[in-house]
Amino acid sequence: MRFLRCAHAEFLLVFPRLTRTRLGISLTALGTTLVWLSAHALDPLTATLQAGALGAILGAAEIVGRGSDRAALTTALTHPTTALAVATGRWLAIVLPPAALTIVCAAAMGWHASAVAAGFAAAAAVGGCALALVLLLGNGAALALFLFMAVAGTVAPERLVGLAHPGVLRLTTASAIELGPALWHYRDIATGDVGAVLHAFAWTGLGILLASACIARRRARVSAGRR
Amino acid sequence: MTDFALTLSDISGCRLGPVSIALVPGEIAGLVGPAGAGKTRLLRVAAGVRRPNTGDVRVWGMSIADPAARLLIGYASDGAAFPHALTVQEVLLYYARLHCARSNGNGRSPRSVAREALEIAGLAAARELRVEALGRADLHRLNLAQAALGGRRVLLLDELLSGLDAFARRDLRGRIARLAAEGVAVLITSRDPAALERLAARVLVMRDGRIVRAGPLATLLAERVLEVILDAPPPEPPPGFRVTAAGIEAPLAGRTVEAALALCRAHRLPVRATRVRVKSLEEVVLETHDSQ
Repeated sequence: MRFLRCAHAEFLLVFPRLTRTRLGISLTALGTTLVWLSAHALDPLTATLQAGALGAILGAAEIVGRGSDRAALTTALTHPTTALAVATGRWLAIVLPPAALTIVCAAAMGWHASAVAAGFAAAAAVGGCALALVLLLGNGAALALFLFMAVAGTVAPERLVGLAHPGVLRLTTASAIELGPALWHYRDIATGDVGAVLHAFAWTGLGILLASACIARRRARVSAGRR
Repeated sequence: MTDFALTLSDISGCRLGPVSIALVPGEIAGLVGPAGAGKTRLLRVAAGVRRPNTGDVRVWGMSIADPAARLLIGYASDGAAFPHALTVQEVLLYYARLHCARSNGNGRSPRSVAREALEIAGLAAARELRVEALGRADLHRLNLAQAALGGRRVLLLDELLSGLDAFARRDLRGRIARLAAEGVAVLITSRDPAALERLAARVLVMRDGRIVRAGPLATLLAERVLEVILDAPPPEPPPGFRVTAAGIEAPLAGRTVEAALALCRAHRLPVRATRVRVKSLEEVVLETHDSQ
């Protein structure tokens, strides 16, 4: 119960950020763009997945990406909370706005409940991954992940690796795309693929655990005098 | 239960020690020393942020590892960062929620805990300001507010008075003294000993991770200094004196003013005026540091 209260306290920080940072306007712009694209080129399922995944990356960049926000995590840990509660709360703050965006986009593009579920899964998995990456590497990682999800993430690895020469590079690329959170995985959730759901769950849990470890490590580094 | 609000027993490791300190409720103890002396490291150990190799930290008799002890101890780190996009009130409400999540609020809502912290630090007028718009003095007040929030009984304040103008420093000193008057034990560090001269009842001088001198402020400042203003700088000061901008000076250290002046006359120094003053804390700290 205490853990949930601490996580809830972290989650509540999203509301001021929605209006005072670029988060709100970025999500609105993303939603508008995806709805427009779905009317011209993009299929509604891809647009819904993109809303969840790209929205989560934008959320991670605005909620934990700034230097001051990452530094403030250390101050938070001098209060009665834990790194895991902080990571879980931040993940919720990152994921719930794009989940809402997914619903809005799905409603605008013609409602499909299965597409919304896939969008939620994409937001959860990509949100976990983005949280850990941004905590570790900053907003540069958010930009790289955003570009990957927007372009390569929608394409199945079989189609991508064919472009590379055989060898270690090809194997590494294939493995990264196969194992990492990518939209081509989560398309299958719309058709009821349990493996894709489990993949999303795994990335959600792994992302939160990695983020928690990053926060604990940052605290240890700061307390040892290495900022 | 114990009579001590905070005890650090035989702390070693983290380039510290061995160090032992005990604070009684309502006491303000000042940790002074040059940069790298170990003041911040000791505070981090006391706050439970760092674990020493050996030794024990207890808050009101409870180990610092006990979650209940963490509710009683507040830590304001040097250069603490806060989320820039939030207002002062939102930042304190956030910490108050964390505090109430652990203590079940003791019957109080996070909002009332945050409001009390705003009043303690004198931030009521700035509560709607964003953190990024705060000046240095208000950031220090916010740091004090988050540390004192929720009725903490022990405060660890790292350089909270450093880098402030005289007015902000006086204001913060008053607020810390008021908390101490309510029974809160305070351990405060400062690079500048003068900052603690009107606040700390006890001073601990640190060097190389150890406490090299400690005592009540009144005792440390008991020593008097004779200042002698001369018409012309002396070619060589009498034994025990040192040359200053206006003449010479020497600690009285048991001898009388007359005896010291007789020494000046014996050296045929043109004395224009004399003055007896007490040593400043800065002088005591520098002498302690140089004599080690």
